[in-house]
Amino acid sequence: MVIDFRNMTKVYTIGTEQVHALRGVSMTIKKNEYIALMGPSGSGKSTMMNMIGCLDTPTSGEYLFEGQDVAKLTDDQLAEIRNKRIGFVFQNFNLIPRSDVFHNVELPMIYAGVGAAERKSATLDAIEKVGLTERMKHKPNELSGGQRQRVAIARALVNNPSIILADEPTGNLDSKTGEEIMGVFEDLYKAGNTIILVTHEEDIASHARRVVRLKDGCIEVDEMMNGRKVFKKVLVDA
Amino acid sequence: MKRLFYETLEAFRIALNAIRANKARGFLTTLGIVIGITAVSTTMTVMVGMRNSFQSQLSAMGTDVLYVSKHPWLIMDDWWKYRNRPQITFDESKKLKKALGDKIVAVNPSVGTVRPVKYESKTLEDIFVRGTTENELFTSSAVPAAGRFVTNLDVENSKYICVIGYDVKEKLFENKDPIGKKLKIGAYNFKIVGVIEKQGRFLGGLGGPNLDAQVAIPISTFLKSYGRSRGLQLAVKVKDMSLMDDTSDEITGAMRKIRKLKPTAGENFSINRQDTFTKVYDQIMGVVGLVGVLITSISLFVGGIGVMNIMFVSVTERTREIGIRKAIGAKRKTILVQFLFEAAMICLIGCGIALILSYIISYIINIFFTAQLSIGVVLVAVLIAIVVGILSGFLPALKASRLDPIDALRYE
Ligand SMILES: Nc1ncnc2c1ncn2[C@@H]1O[C@H](COP(=O)(O)OP(=O)(O)O)[C@@H](O)[C@H]1O
Ligand SMILES: [Mg+2]
Repeated sequence: MVIDFRNMTKVYTIGTEQVHALRGVSMTIKKNEYIALMGPSGSGKSTMMNMIGCLDTPTSGEYLFEGQDVAKLTDDQLAEIRNKRIGFVFQNFNLIPRSDVFHNVELPMIYAGVGAAERKSATLDAIEKVGLTERMKHKPNELSGGQRQRVAIARALVNNPSIILADEPTGNLDSKTGEEIMGVFEDLYKAGNTIILVTHEEDIASHARRVVRLKDGCIEVDEMMNGRKVFKKVLVDA
Repeated sequence: MKRLFYETLEAFRIALNAIRANKARGFLTTLGIVIGITAVSTTMTVMVGMRNSFQSQLSAMGTDVLYVSKHPWLIMDDWWKYRNRPQITFDESKKLKKALGDKIVAVNPSVGTVRPVKYESKTLEDIFVRGTTENELFTSSAVPAAGRFVTNLDVENSKYICVIGYDVKEKLFENKDPIGKKLKIGAYNFKIVGVIEKQGRFLGGLGGPNLDAQVAIPISTFLKSYGRSRGLQLAVKVKDMSLMDDTSDEITGAMRKIRKLKPTAGENFSINRQDTFTKVYDQIMGVVGLVGVLITSISLFVGGIGVMNIMFVSVTERTREIGIRKAIGAKRKTILVQFLFEAAMICLIGCGIALILSYIISYIINIFFTAQLSIGVVLVAVLIAIVVGILSGFLPALKASRLDPIDALRYE
């Protein structure tokens, strides 16, 4: 079991107002799953991804990442998990603007303390995997949206994480480029990685093997693409 | 260990990028640091330089010599008090020597005046003529560069011989050998028997006399030719530095006896020593140093605040970047070090500029008296820059390191 959370909630407090972004979600994710997280805007998809990615901590509930209770980990231990076990791909790329492609991809390995020679070859491999070998010395602002997203994917891959989290990776891309990016995820999945991606486009979600639908901070449907339901919320009429 | 090394390299690279991206801003920020460090290094350079030249010039006097004179060298109180004291005479010099016996190494009486000096058709005005004895070789560090010095026989027989200073030789004789030549000092003719090596100015920085524009003649000849009215100064070389105070007391006792002073009467002579100068000098330099430290601290403080301010701006501007770095695994310490590094770099750049300025300043000062930017001063400056950088970068860096990754990523 890679990921396991029970009754996870997240409440944001803005002034005196409380926003319940997650209202008690439970889920288990095994190794080499390919999950699409869907739902309307504001349903809590990004919040859930941030929890899974150890970028944020739940308000209540239990979250076990590879068997470790995340609530008991220090900031630095969480940083270590983000660095080595998780590859995050953001909708808005989040590349370092002043650094070139090579350095952006290399950065997680620097923070992991990998030696220069090994780092270089791994970085080159990751860049090759996303087909950007010719653009290595370019700064992010010299690249197209699709190319930037591929840099972000290469960066997510470079430390060989067990799971790759992608929050609307194609959201800022045209549909053709989006398909290309999906091809990269398909390859990663086939290579044995666990992939969770957020999308609200059905055809993007169709690449996944399991679909989880969120609504108002609750999991509404959790089903395998072969039609077998893992979970279905019983809707109670008012 | 390895990780720390790579992270440090990364911090260096980030700092360089950040500074390069904000050159004008960085430059303005460093101004306070530049002024501060220029102030430290220049003050230090000048003080060390002055101290060194002061010491080397004073050493012409000898540290283990006591000087008996009419009044103190540096009169701090009422000058009139000393005006009516009797002059010290050659006779008293002989008596003092006898009284002290083998408690001392030597007593050298000397007396001086200013006369024009003439060789053939060339004349030098205002040359200091010193009547002295062979004992000057004990009480002063001046050594003949050519020929010989005044001897006991010269003094006993009041010989008309003289030993000339380096500048006198250069100006009157250029490349010719002056030994054996006739020199007219005032109204009398003297035979040159020696040349004193180059000594430079006594307390040059403070405008003291030029020791090389002097001539020395036997004291007996001096008294006979130029009159007995001038007071003498007696240089007494002690046997050992540790005996300075004891010998000073001995001299006081002996002089009182020679002058038949009543027990109730105060002394009518003074005993001076080289460290009178050193003490006054140190007092003056202490004040100069204090002012230097004050200016330095104020400008470093202002500079440090400037750096802190700019680092806060830098942290705020780069909140998203910090979020990204944290999201991909940078730890608190990593971010902290990154920003400390940047602050230290800004200060080091300021330090570099300051050192170039100080070098130029010390180069200019060196025209007047010795001042050289030493490695020690450079190291101190670099150290101060790093410390100021780290101190002023600490709060901004701490703020950066504590940012929540999610909040930082969401920052617009
Ligand atoms: N940092 C935050 N502060 C306050 N409210 C937030 C914050 N992040 C998300 N929310 C709120 O939580 C809810 C879920 O947001 P999010 O997870 O981003 O939804 P999605 O990604 O599904 O569009 C929304 O109502 C959003 O306004
Ligand atoms: Mg979202």
